[in-house]
Formats: sequence, structure tokens, C-alpha cells
Amino acid sequence: MLSLFRITDVSAHCDLPCGVYDPAQARIEAESIKAIIAKVADNPDPDFRMRATIIKEQRSELVKHHLWVLWTDYFKAPHFEKYPQLHTLFNEATKLAGAAGTKGEFDAGKADELLGKIDEIARVFAETKAA
Amino acid sequence: MSPWRSVLSRLPRPALVRVRGRSMWPTYREGDVLLVIAGAPPRAGRAAVVRLPRDGAGRARPLSVKRLTRPDPERPGHWWVGSDNSVEGVSSLDVGTLTSEDVVAVVACRVRRGLG
Repeated sequence: MLSLFRITDVSAHCDLPCGVYDPAQARIEAESIKAIIAKVADNPDPDFRMRATIIKEQRSELVKHHLWVLWTDYFKAPHFEKYPQLHTLFNEATKLAGAAGTKGEFDAGKADELLGKIDEIARVFAETKAA
Repeated sequence: MSPWRSVLSRLPRPALVRVRGRSMWPTYREGDVLLVIAGAPPRAGRAAVVRLPRDGAGRARPLSVKRLTRPDPERPGHWWVGSDNSVEGVSSLDVGTLTSEDVVAVVACRVRRGLG
């Protein structure tokens, strides 16, 4: 109930809470990153490598974005209680997509690790969807 | 509830709300406190506190601040709502038009500027 004596929060939120979430979004970007790393390894052309670097940074940023959306919008407090590893998982995954991971390096191992973390998140996601 | 109380609860009365989010930017920004008149008749062009219909998954949406763009020409007593921030926010394109009862309050003025 609105009142003059208590300030009520009213939402002016950017999200259309459409309720459509899927870790596949992050996975597709991470697969792009892995493929870019492989292509660069076989191509000495400096222009190509420059483009690959830029695109790899953008894709890494998108991985982080998609994971953050899941973390903040999809998963709710009861999920974090039931899956206490989730916070760490998101933290590690987004770090792997950052400057010390796929964004800053051309390390196929980091890309594989990132895909592994996304798959772990996807498993939890699937369980919460089935519940 | 006494009859007096039910009459009083329908009279326009002032209330305070705080804006959360960016969909009414640049008019209102995160943290702005607004003086609103609950129960005031909706008017085209005014910002208002509205109840939005449930989302696709059946979850309730929070009480929201929106712009009453214009009356729905096809459904008398219904209002077309939108966001001032053209790139963000839910509008009647997403949720359809709202009944006058869902327009809970009309914004009178801002009383405090948010820091955000």
C-alpha cells in the first residue's frame, strides 16, 4: 500500500523479464573463442590476427555478460542455498573469460576450462529447470 | 472495514515512492524519490505508478513507474503505457494496455534527486 510515511520502491527496470534463459548462449560464444584460438595458431597474417584478437575480446565479454545475466536474473536465493558451489562457479567462469583467461590470452586450454565451467553451470541450470 | 474507511481509501491521497532502475531515464533516475497521488485519475502524458500484468511464466511483476502515453482507442478505460528511456523498459507493446484500476497513482513531482 502506498503511503506518505514509508517510501515504496517502484520498478523502472530495464529488463523485460521475459523468463527466457539458457546457458547455451554463453557456450556458443565460448566455442567461438576456442575456434578463433585454433584459427590464429594456423595463420601468420598480422591483419587476420588483429581481427581475431578484437573478436575474441568481444566474444569473451559476451560470455561474461551471458553468465552474469544467469547469475543475477535467473538464479534465485533458494538455488544458491541448494547449490552452494554456484557463486564460486560463476566467479571462476567469468574470470576464465577475463583478461587472465580467454580475453587476454590465446590459450586453448583456458578456452576448454571455460567451456567446462559453463557446462557445470548448465548442469545446475538443467536441474533447477527440471525441479 | 467501516463504510467511512472504504470511502477514505478511495480518496486521492499523497504517497512517496523511490525509483529503481533506468527505464524512465532521463526524467527519473535510480534513487529518485517521487511524490505521487494515489487514487488520482489517470491523465495522458503523466508518469504514473502502475500494476503490470504477470509475466509469461506467471510471475508477478513489481509495482512500476511508467508514462501513460495515451488512452487505448480500442478499449475505453484502458491506458497505453511506455518508458521514457526508449531503449529500455517494458511498454504496452509487451504487456498490452492497462485498466484505470491498474494505474495506482499519478506522479506529482520529484522530491529528491537520486545519486545514481
